[in-house]
Amino acid sequence: MAVDMRLPTVSKTVSLSVSAFDRKDLVVPGDVITSDTGFMRGHGTYVDEEKLTASVAGEVQRVDKLICVRPLKTRQVMSPKPFNGEVGDVVVGRITEVQQKRWKVETNSRLDSVLLLSSVNLPGGELRRRSAEDELTMREYLQEGDLISAEVQSVFSDGALSLHTRSLKYGKLGQGVLVQLSPSLIKRQKTHFHNLPCGASIILGNNGFVWLYPTPEQQDEEAGGFYTSLEPISLSDREVISRLRNCLLALATHKVLLYDTSVLYCYESSLQHQVKDILKPEVMEEIVLLTQHKLLEQEG
Amino acid sequence: MPTDTKRVRGPEVSQSPSLVTSKPAAALPSSGPRADGRQRDQVDVRPVFVRCGLVSQAKGSAYIEAGNTKLMSCVYGPRETERKDETDMKCGRLTTDMRFAPFSCPERGSWIQGSQDRDFSLMLYESLQPAVCLHKYPRSQIEVSVMVLENGGSVLAHAVTCASLALADAGIEMYDLVLGCSVRQDGASYVVDPTYAEESGGSCGGSSEDAGGVTVAFLPSLNQISGLQSDGEMAGETLTAGVRTCIEGCYKLYPVIQQALLKAVRKAAPPPSES
Amino acid sequence: MATVQVSEAEKVYILHGIRDDLRVDGRGCEDYRHMEIETDVVSNTDGSAKVSLGHTAVLVGIKAEIGKPRPMVPNEGYLEFFVDCSANATPEFEGRGGEELGTELSNTLYKVFNNKQSLDLRALCISAGEHCWVLYVDVLLLQCDGNLYDAISIAIKAALFNTKIPRVHISSDEEGGKEIELSDDPYDCMRLQVESVPCIVTLCKVGHRHVVDATLQEKACSVASLIISVTHKGTVTCTRKVGGGSLDPESIFEMIEAGKRVGKALHAPLMKLLQQEESLGKKRQKVGFLG
Repeated sequence: MAVDMRLPTVSKTVSLSVSAFDRKDLVVPGDVITSDTGFMRGHGTYVDEEKLTASVAGEVQRVDKLICVRPLKTRQVMSPKPFNGEVGDVVVGRITEVQQKRWKVETNSRLDSVLLLSSVNLPGGELRRRSAEDELTMREYLQEGDLISAEVQSVFSDGALSLHTRSLKYGKLGQGVLVQLSPSLIKRQKTHFHNLPCGASIILGNNGFVWLYPTPEQQDEEAGGFYTSLEPISLSDREVISRLRNCLLALATHKVLLYDTSVLYCYESSLQHQVKDILKPEVMEEIVLLTQHKLLEQEG
Repeated sequence: MPTDTKRVRGPEVSQSPSLVTSKPAAALPSSGPRADGRQRDQVDVRPVFVRCGLVSQAKGSAYIEAGNTKLMSCVYGPRETERKDETDMKCGRLTTDMRFAPFSCPERGSWIQGSQDRDFSLMLYESLQPAVCLHKYPRSQIEVSVMVLENGGSVLAHAVTCASLALADAGIEMYDLVLGCSVRQDGASYVVDPTYAEESGGSCGGSSEDAGGVTVAFLPSLNQISGLQSDGEMAGETLTAGVRTCIEGCYKLYPVIQQALLKAVRKAAPPPSES
Repeated sequence: MATVQVSEAEKVYILHGIRDDLRVDGRGCEDYRHMEIETDVVSNTDGSAKVSLGHTAVLVGIKAEIGKPRPMVPNEGYLEFFVDCSANATPEFEGRGGEELGTELSNTLYKVFNNKQSLDLRALCISAGEHCWVLYVDVLLLQCDGNLYDAISIAIKAALFNTKIPRVHISSDEEGGKEIELSDDPYDCMRLQVESVPCIVTLCKVGHRHVVDATLQEKACSVASLIISVTHKGTVTCTRKVGGGSLDPESIFEMIEAGKRVGKALHAPLMKLLQQEESLGKKRQKVGFLG
């Protein structure tokens, strides 16, 4: 057995980039952004006596004449603020309810997202018609508690997301580990599915849910993504997944943007430590610093 | 606030006269036979008297008497659950409620359920739940209540036995009966199924290392422990030995309980049809 | 209790991992998460400690007050436990939601301390039958991420170590009346002997093995757990099965054995840490709640 007890230390974020204290574009609610009337009011702002004022704490963004304030949502790993999805975002979510013709999915956003029965590929190919029978057997495909990966199809007027899994890469998730992080730490990329060379795969959901799983050998096309293998996973794969999980948490603690390269560099930097030691504060600091150096080198 | 100046009011808190008259906790002898003639260091449980079906309005009920310990238990349900907000509708809900009558102990208790009663209720719940096939009762709830009429020691153990008997009497599907037994360790020797005096009076040696009580709820046919609780300070080996002793005690009770249940079933059974 | 949802496949993953002695966060079956302990965090208490274990955070404050000894034991003081599950920890605790868990926890604490060795209660007596110190141990759950029992017991031990009870002198006048005088010197205070205060170890049965310091996800995979409080000498002061399942007698004996081993090993590093913190005295930089 091992137990590691210590006195707490004041934690500090290790960062090589510009300190957030020097940034001028951060506002808090009530801050006047501009009194120039030539601008348009976007999200996170309101007009008070002809002055454009912020209504959330965050970063001011200007697109042409439109001014928005984007909340930073990077407060703490444990309590990420909700995520506002956009069409095309990749999300990882958990089924919370099975309703008629649709599933409710928890995706870390304000409202539960919706996955319609008509937006999933059922076993038997894309052209298969949905019968009344399918409605009755919905729970066989996905039941409460199951995890899925999906894409945002559209956004309802109340802000709820409509998801779809009409591609082989989406669908029910099998064995693996879910890590819940802040959505703002996920870097937007062309693809959010990566088969990492270290032997595991990762889905970086735009909603901050990250799924780690052993790299599948071959996709079973017929099952339409609803079949999950319950075969035991080899110990070496598990170790890689656990290491990746702890690396993700380390990066998130120090507010490093997450994408395939940063995760991979962090994984490489952590190799000299045991998996369970990665989460110790001093090891975490060391690894993250190493990672940031590597990232800087790579950028040039 | 108007005060009554005409008469002398009694003290706000009252105490039982026994506290004043008797010497504080007369130490029980820690060797030799026990006060009720049973043997020490032997699995010598008190003879029990059990009877099912004494409350006609309940779905099932049972009464148990062991020495001075007297308990009754009633089972109501299964019926539709009141709380609809529960997300897990696939399984039924079991609720337990255990209370001491105010006059059950030497000192008067209050009618309001204290934290000790709530603790007993929880222990009862955890001991019974593994035995009841709750998945057979979706969306329904089964209520078990136990009333301690007289506290003569080992209340929790007998409450478990009594409640499982009442559940069986109510025709609730169960994997097995649940039997309870407790042991009191007192220095090097132990007493099985302790009486109230043995429970509270013992361990006056002060320095003795092993002094404490163990209560076990046991499913005899499946050989599973569904409830375990101990307090007082004991070495690990003593604790394990205590648990083993309790299991043995449960096996001793098993035939008696089976008999009583069988008797209740026979009584309730209609005469065999003539065909 | 704060609960999380876990899908079947995730459960299988966790189960197989525990079978192979490699848990999701890389720990072995008998490893604890990283633990941080700080004492003397609330100045209005006589002793306080904050413990964080993974994302579980517990704050314990101890207040000493003068009361009347219990009639059955006139020459001893006593402890009162209260566990508050605030809605800060999880929205489920809002209103009366946390009450059930709170009583369960505090009742267990009474059992853990229900023996002569844990704490010398006679030291809390001021004058037999008349006055004694009552220690109110108030536990506040700040964050729940599994393994509350262990974190609470460690926090209580640390807070008791930190507790400073003012010294009192009893002077009696000629008529036999007694008067209690509190020492004027704030440094003239009594410390408690916490050596044999037990620590609780929760063992969760997952599959065919058991793990210590289970996270919420692991707890969701377990049918039953055994809590066992162990002193530095390796004696057991309380055991209790919690959770809905039943356990094989043999596995209970195994768990008692493991719990004893793990619990015994917790005390030495804890005492070392507390003494180290004490020796730093005022030099130590206080961290407080924003670690």
